[in-house]
This record gives sequence, structure tokens and C-alpha cells, in this order.
Amino acid sequence: MAFYWYQSDPDLYQAEVAAMRKFFPSFQINQLQDGSGRLYWRGCVQPMGEGGMVWDLMLIYKNDHPHATEGEYGGSIQILPVKPRLKDIAARMMPLLEETYGGYDNAASRGFGLGLPHIYRQNFGRNEEYFICTADPKYFKAGQTRSTSAASALSWACKWIMLCEMWINGEISDDVALEGNY
Amino acid sequence: MDENNNDAIAARRRALAEALRTGEPVVVTPTGEVEMKDEAQENGMSGIQVPDGKLAKED
Repeated sequence: MAFYWYQSDPDLYQAEVAAMRKFFPSFQINQLQDGSGRLYWRGCVQPMGEGGMVWDLMLIYKNDHPHATEGEYGGSIQILPVKPRLKDIAARMMPLLEETYGGYDNAASRGFGLGLPHIYRQNFGRNEEYFICTADPKYFKAGQTRSTSAASALSWACKWIMLCEMWINGEISDDVALEGNY
Repeated sequence: MDENNNDAIAARRRALAEALRTGEPVVVTPTGEVEMKDEAQENGMSGIQVPDGKLAKED
């Protein structure tokens, strides 16, 4: 019996692979070695171009792909930066935010509880990791005839990275970084 | 010269951020670089157009 989405819907799997091969050919697909059966893509991007940071990313499918429910930011494709690690960047930013807003509670009430805008945390393997909130789940397509692909999720992630780097560099304000207009 | 170049890069970034905010078409190239669609086409670059989708708004 087909247990995973890529077994029960081989056409969708082929479409996912074709989209990534077309738009992000340097990314490689693999399976997590944690017994979950989950597939992931891994590769590097440089959203700010020359001079910008190189981000080593994992795009991890949930086993219910394609799927999105309220509060499930980014739908059934999770984006985990391996290097730089969001948790490390957030740890460097948090003291600055606490200083700006007069303590952790105030920073958290502004939406900076994790030290970066638009991220969420979840256990991954033995560690708690921070993931990119790529998009509000209402934008994640999870229909039978049309679903958001890993390639689309990666393009959202590149947008997030560009805005995050601009925010870290002081090129966009906290309010702009936090607002839901991007 | 470098300062002018940095100013130009910063201006381009601001334009990109504004394009994203206003919903203008933006593409991501195979290396992950975010580009305005028109600019990318003029420079002969291909890429995936960033689909509609706002970042989740914090409560």
C-alpha cells in the first residue's frame, strides 16, 4: 500500500522533480535518515547576488504534501536554513532587539519573540530548529489539480532571505519587516 | 567609485523590496538571486516568478 505522497501520487512527484530541475538545477533530492520517509531538497542560493550571503537550505516535504492549514506557515514544504542557521542569527539579533524595545517581553509583543521576523520553531531530529515562514498558508495551493511546488516555496524563501538580509543590514525598518505586506 | 557602486546596489535592493511590496512581478534565478522580471528578461536571465503569497502576518 502506498504510504507516502510520492508513492500514492507519482505524477505529482515527477512534477515536483521537473520544476526543481528546471528552476533550481543545483538542488538535489534525498530522503531524511530519521525513519520518517520524508523527502527533501538541498542546495545553496544567494538571493542578494554577488556580495550577499550564500544560504545552504533544506526544503523538507511533510508527508501530507500538498497540504496547508491555518497556522501551518509555508504549508507542507518546510524551509530549514542549514547554514547560516537561523537560531544562530536570531541569538545575535535578540540582544539588539531587547535593547531597542526595552526587554524581551516588549520585543516579543512586537513580534520578535524568536529574534527574527516571520520564522517559526519546531523540533527537527534532536534539536529545536527555526524555519522560514515562507507564506501565509492561505497562499499555499493544495488542490488535486494544482499545488504549490518546492520550486515555488524556494522562490518565496529567497524573497524572505532578501528581506531578512535587508532588515539585518538596517535597510528596512522593523515595522516593514514585520508587516504582512511582503 | 566603490561608494557609488554600493549606493547603486542599495538603491536596487530598495527597488526590489518595493516591487515585492506592491506586487510587481519578481523572479528568482537558478542561483536564487531575486530580480525584477523586466530586468531579468533584458539581461537574458531565466527564473521562476515568485508566486503571490504574503509572509504570514504576526499576531
